[in-house]
Amino acid sequence: MDNRTAIINQPDKISSFNDVYKLQKEYQEALILDNSNPDFIWIGEHQLCYTLGRGSNYDNLLFSLNDPKYDVFKIDRGGEVTCHMPGQLVTYLVLDLKNFNKDLNWYLRKIEEIIIKILGAFNINCHSRKGFTGVWIGNKKIASIGIGCKRWITINGFSINIDCELENFNKIVPCGIENCLMANMIDYNRNLNIQEVKRIVKKTIEEEFSFDFISK
Amino acid sequence: MSHEIFMPALSSTMTEGKIVEWLKNPGDKVERGESVLVVESDKADMDVESFQDGYLAAVLMPAGSTAPVGETIGLIVENEDEIASVQEQNKGNQAEVSTSDQLELVSNKTEEKPVVHTENIKKEAEEVVLKSEKPVPSLNVDQINAATSNVSSRIIASPRAKKLASQMGVDLAKVHGSGPHGRIQADDILNANGQPVAIPWIGEGGSPASIPGANLGVERKPETSGNSFGNPGETVQFNTLQKAVNKNMESSLDVPCFRVGYSINTDKLDNFYKKVKQNGVTMTALLVKAVAKTLKKHPQVNSSFSENGISYPENINIAVAVAMEDGGLITPVLKEPCNTDLFELSREWKDLVKRSRSKQLEPDEYSTGTFTLSNLGMFGVDRFDAILPPGTGAILAIASSKPTVVANSDGSISVKKIMQVNLTADHRVIYGADGASFLKDLANLIENEPETLVS
Repeated sequence: MDNRTAIINQPDKISSFNDVYKLQKEYQEALILDNSNPDFIWIGEHQLCYTLGRGSNYDNLLFSLNDPKYDVFKIDRGGEVTCHMPGQLVTYLVLDLKNFNKDLNWYLRKIEEIIIKILGAFNINCHSRKGFTGVWIGNKKIASIGIGCKRWITINGFSINIDCELENFNKIVPCGIENCLMANMIDYNRNLNIQEVKRIVKKTIEEEFSFDFISK
Repeated sequence: MSHEIFMPALSSTMTEGKIVEWLKNPGDKVERGESVLVVESDKADMDVESFQDGYLAAVLMPAGSTAPVGETIGLIVENEDEIASVQEQNKGNQAEVSTSDQLELVSNKTEEKPVVHTENIKKEAEEVVLKSEKPVPSLNVDQINAATSNVSSRIIASPRAKKLASQMGVDLAKVHGSGPHGRIQADDILNANGQPVAIPWIGEGGSPASIPGANLGVERKPETSGNSFGNPGETVQFNTLQKAVNKNMESSLDVPCFRVGYSINTDKLDNFYKKVKQNGVTMTALLVKAVAKTLKKHPQVNSSFSENGISYPENINIAVAVAMEDGGLITPVLKEPCNTDLFELSREWKDLVKRSRSKQLEPDEYSTGTFTLSNLGMFGVDRFDAILPPGTGAILAIASSKPTVVANSDGSISVKKIMQVNLTADHRVIYGADGASFLKDLANLIENEPETLVS
C-alpha cells in the first residue's frame, strides 16, 4: 500500500478539549466530503475534564453534572466515562478506515497493539484484556480507548497516563469498571518524560499506518 | 414504500450491536447520507446514515436495546404522507423515542434546526454540555419489535429468534410461531432445533428461568412437557452415553457419601454478573472460577480416594454437567480455571458446550475433572443433591438463586437473593468439617468479593 499523507499536530501547550474536538470534526467532515483529503493525527494534553461516550451510563459519574467545578463533555465515541488532564498524553486519529480495514474491532485491536509497542519502547510490559478494551499493566489500566466513526472515518482515539494526578479518576467509575485501578507510566520507568513519549507515539503511528506526516 | 434501516456490521466478528441513540425522531425529515442513529460495539461508535432522502417513519428498536446484525431497526419512507400509514401498521410496536429522553443540549446550535439541505462542510461541532441526568428508558425489546416484518409481510419473528435461527441453521419458514399472531419466539427456534436442556446455567434474575427446549424428545408429543425417549408401552434401549452414565452412577453405590449444604447470598454476584455479562462472561464461568479459587485453599476437597490412599491431583479441573438432548449427560472440563481470566474462561466454556452438543469433545475434555458442578438453577429448583462421579471426591449441586426473606443478625428483616448449594463428598477422603469450611469460604467469596473473580 502506498503511504498516505496525514497531517500531524502536536502542540506543546495544554490544549482546550473543545477546540481540539472541533478540529477533529472538521477533518472528519472534510474526509467525508472528499476522501482525497488527508488523515489527521493530534497528540497532546488537555486541561482536567471528563468525557462521556454517547452511550455512557451516567451512574459512573460520581459527581453532579450541575457541579460547576467539573468540565464534562459528551462526545462521539463509544465507551464509558473517562478523564483527561495534564500529564496524560491524548492521541486522536481521524483516519479513513476504507484505506485500511473496514472493521472497528480490527481498529480497536490495532490501537491496543500500537499502545503496547509504545510502552514497550520504554521497557514497560503491558497487555490487552479480552472484553476490556484498553491497555493494562497487571490489573491496572494504563491506557484507554474510545472511538467514533462515521462512514468509516474515525474520530477520537486513545489516552495514555504518563505522569498525571490519578486521583481525578476517583470522581468517576473509569470505563464503567468498578474498582478499576489506574496506573502512570512514570511508576514503571522513572526516566521517561512526556516529550519522549510523544516522539515515540508519533513514530509508532507513522510506521503502523504507513503515513507520511505533514506537520501543521 | 418504506425502506428498512438495518443494524450494520461494524466488524467482521460482530453479531449484534447496541443502539446508543436515535439522532432523529419519527416524523423527522432525513437526507441521504445524514446520520439517523448511533450504534455501539465495544468501545467504538458508528453513525448509521440514511441511504435515501425521506422521513424517519418508525423506530422499531429503542435506544439502549441490542439487535442482531441485519435486523430491521427503523423505517424510512420517501413521502411525508406515508408516515402515518407506516406508523399505523407498526402501532404499538414502535419504540418511544423523544428528545426529552435524550440529554438536554445546551449551546448546541444544530439542535432542532429544521432539516434543510445545507453544504455545511464545517458544521459547528456538536459540543454538548451535559445538564440533566435522565436514564435511558428501558423498554421491553420483545414487545417492541414485533413489527419488524409486518411491513413487507415476511416471516414474523423476534430478533432473538432470528438470531438463534441463523446461529443454529433453523429455517424460519418451517417454524411454527407460538407468539401473538403466530410470531416466532426464541423458544420456538430452540424447540425446532431440539436444543438440549442446558443445565449449567443459574437462574438469572429474580424469577426461575424459563425452560427453553425442556420439552424435547425424539418424537415431540405436544401433551408432554417433560423428556421422553420412547412412546407409552415401549422399552427403549439405552444409548452408549446413557450406558456410560449408568455405570458411573452405579459405581457411586460403593462410595460412602455425605451431603452438606449452604445458603449463599448472590446479590453482589448478580450485580457483578450484570456488569461483565456484556463482555461475554457466563454465570457458569463465574461459578467455576469461584469454586476453583476456593478449592485452591481447600486441597482436601479436591482430593479423591485411591487404593494407595488419599490422592491429591496436580491440577484443579472443574467438570460441569451438561444434559444431552438425546439422553445421557456429559461433563466438559474447564482446566485450571485459576490460571485463566474470566473472559477467556467464559469463551472456553461456550466452546466446550457447543462442541459437546455436536459430540466433538476429546476424551481429556470431559474425563479429567477433579471436582464437578451440577447446576439446575435455570429450572427454579430450590435444592437438590448430586451423585458423586467416580474418581473424584466431591460434587456441588447448585440450585436457583431466589429472592428470600432473611432475618439479619441485628434482628431486622430484608429480602436477599439466596442460592442453595449442596456438596456431596466421599467421606473416606473428605470429612464434614472439610466440606463445611470449603462451603463457608465459597460463600464468603461469592457474597463479598465477586469482583476478584475477574482474574
